[in-house]
Amino acid sequence: MDFQERLKTLTEGAKYDVACTSSGVTRKGKRGMVGSAEACGICHSFTADGRCISLLKTLINNYCEYDCQYCVNRRSSDIPRASMQPHEVADLTMQFYRRNYIEGLFLSSAVIKNPDYTMEMLIKTLALLRGEYRFNGYIHVKAIPGSDEKLIQKLGQLADRMSINIELPSERSLTHLAPDKSKPAILAPMNYVKNGIIQNKEELKKFRNAAEFVPAGQSTQLIVGATPEADSRIVHLAQGLYKNYSLRRVFYSAYIPVGNETMLPAVPMPTFDTGTGLIHKEYGPLLMREHRLYQADFLLRFYGFTAGEMFKTEEENLSLHIDPKCHWALRNLEKFPVEVNTADYMTLLRVPGIGQISAERIVKARRVNKLNFENLKKMGIVLKRARYFITCNGKMAEKINFQPESIELRLTDNNAVGPYSQLTLSDVAIA
Amino acid sequence: MGDKLTKREVDVLFDGTFEGFLCVVYSFYYEGIVPLSIQTTDEYQPSITLTEYFIVTDNDRARKVEKAIVKKISQDIARRVAYAFLADAADRYMNMLYYIILGFKVGHMVDSHMQYDFVLRVHKLAREVGREGHKLTGFCRFAETAQGIYYCAITPVHYVLSILAEHFADRMIDQSWIIHDKRHNKAVVYNGHEYTFVEVSPDSKPPVMAGNEAFIQNLWATYFNTLAIEARKNPKLHRQMLPMRYRGNMVEFSKHI
Repeated sequence: MDFQERLKTLTEGAKYDVACTSSGVTRKGKRGMVGSAEACGICHSFTADGRCISLLKTLINNYCEYDCQYCVNRRSSDIPRASMQPHEVADLTMQFYRRNYIEGLFLSSAVIKNPDYTMEMLIKTLALLRGEYRFNGYIHVKAIPGSDEKLIQKLGQLADRMSINIELPSERSLTHLAPDKSKPAILAPMNYVKNGIIQNKEELKKFRNAAEFVPAGQSTQLIVGATPEADSRIVHLAQGLYKNYSLRRVFYSAYIPVGNETMLPAVPMPTFDTGTGLIHKEYGPLLMREHRLYQADFLLRFYGFTAGEMFKTEEENLSLHIDPKCHWALRNLEKFPVEVNTADYMTLLRVPGIGQISAERIVKARRVNKLNFENLKKMGIVLKRARYFITCNGKMAEKINFQPESIELRLTDNNAVGPYSQLTLSDVAIA
Repeated sequence: MGDKLTKREVDVLFDGTFEGFLCVVYSFYYEGIVPLSIQTTDEYQPSITLTEYFIVTDNDRARKVEKAIVKKISQDIARRVAYAFLADAADRYMNMLYYIILGFKVGHMVDSHMQYDFVLRVHKLAREVGREGHKLTGFCRFAETAQGIYYCAITPVHYVLSILAEHFADRMIDQSWIIHDKRHNKAVVYNGHEYTFVEVSPDSKPPVMAGNEAFIQNLWATYFNTLAIEARKNPKLHRQMLPMRYRGNMVEFSKHI
């Protein structure tokens, strides 16, 4: 196989890992080295599915010992196999980086021989890139569950971010579909990295030249829709990970059948209709579910919400038709309407349709002026949803029937599962 | 400031540099020059209705105004003004002048005065410039020339070269590179130590590429095309995230494999 073919094969094996962020660490350029890092992250391109490309996301090899049912690289999968040498990975990274195609490297690997051996391969590649190639850009590396702590330590000193993917949201599903992995084998390294980061921060305070350890923090991925866990369980799990393991990000990946799975629910193989530009209508709702989970995740991280506020029971799912903040507001209508001229920042953030930028602008502008709806509009505050939940100087926007049913009806997004698909009468009749 | 000055209402001309614009602000306060309009000399079209007045650029005066903005208004606002100046919009100079005048009256609170259109306009222009500059730090595509210089062509709406120059001089610190703004016929040239801005003729020829350039570009296009997940394709979202106008200069959209 020539190099281009190998790159293609290994990228196929890596692309279902949705994380492609390059954020979390600022590092200036240095003479004699190549690269820098920006805390806000930089997107270098976007794939046809609208996802950001910021890193060269690839595998060292895809000859996997494991047989996880959801994974394209599993032992029993009938796919071409390939590998790249450490110097090939390093060379390609530099060639892409110098042309500004990428922000850095996201390196991962199938489990070859055993977790420790695989980790050593990853370490060897990153050490070459950081050492001989003098690479100072961003590196995200995926650690292998069940490997030795010393190797995690070594790897963490070469990378900016480390991820250990949980993939399946419950232990039961994990045992069932990923027999080679176990919950303790995943959580132990996560815990080690968490403590390592805390310890490293202390060291850096004392010794300015101490080696950094995973400065951009750790992240994980959960596959959604391959197993029966409800959104409530997933969001509670994410909350626990943020709290107990100080994760920077939890990524959610709508389960995409990768061919000849036997133990997984028969999700229809999605197809893309090039004529209409629509995805198979049965697949649309799953992508919307993933989108709603990201929205709920943002509520956890930036809006001061708890999982408990979003769900009444453990088996509840997020609404596909209405976003989680709207949904919460409709259930807690006694907290509204909120007066924009007096409500504090955190209260403004809870208004559907008002995000961080809008809330900041309101707080700034009302220092000198009483705000009315006209002012808000001119300032670029989107009132489509917010108008139902706010007052300006005690007045509501228009004659609004302040009843949950009435507001919900107006806010329901009829295209909630679109642009992918829309139900028609005949679909309902078949169901 | 300027109370005892005789005020003169004129159509102001300046040389188009940021320093020149700051001298317009200086003349307003120290010479009683009240602009009815502000234009650059190369955009200027003489007309009988104009009472044009040329303001000479003086670096000491410019520095004085710049320092005053930082000290009496804020560092943030100085940065916003600098960004708004890079916008390719004819109305920017007058709006910036009003914004600075209000800033000297109310200090850093100027940003709270969103009842004034010129405050919102300066915010908008600065935001657009910042956004385009940030996007292009990712979307710039360099190609290695036969001389070993990395060349990149862009066609931005705004004058973002200086933002990009600062970013890449830090990131590609030991590399020689050129970023060519084809829309505004300007370029920034970095020689591994420092960068300079130059004017480029609209009919300059593209440079000759290094031998392995096509091979690397093919690898990137292969990578790019493989990475998309067929089942998730979403052209509308794709256009939102990566508007068509950027794609013409990006190698992954010009290669079809």
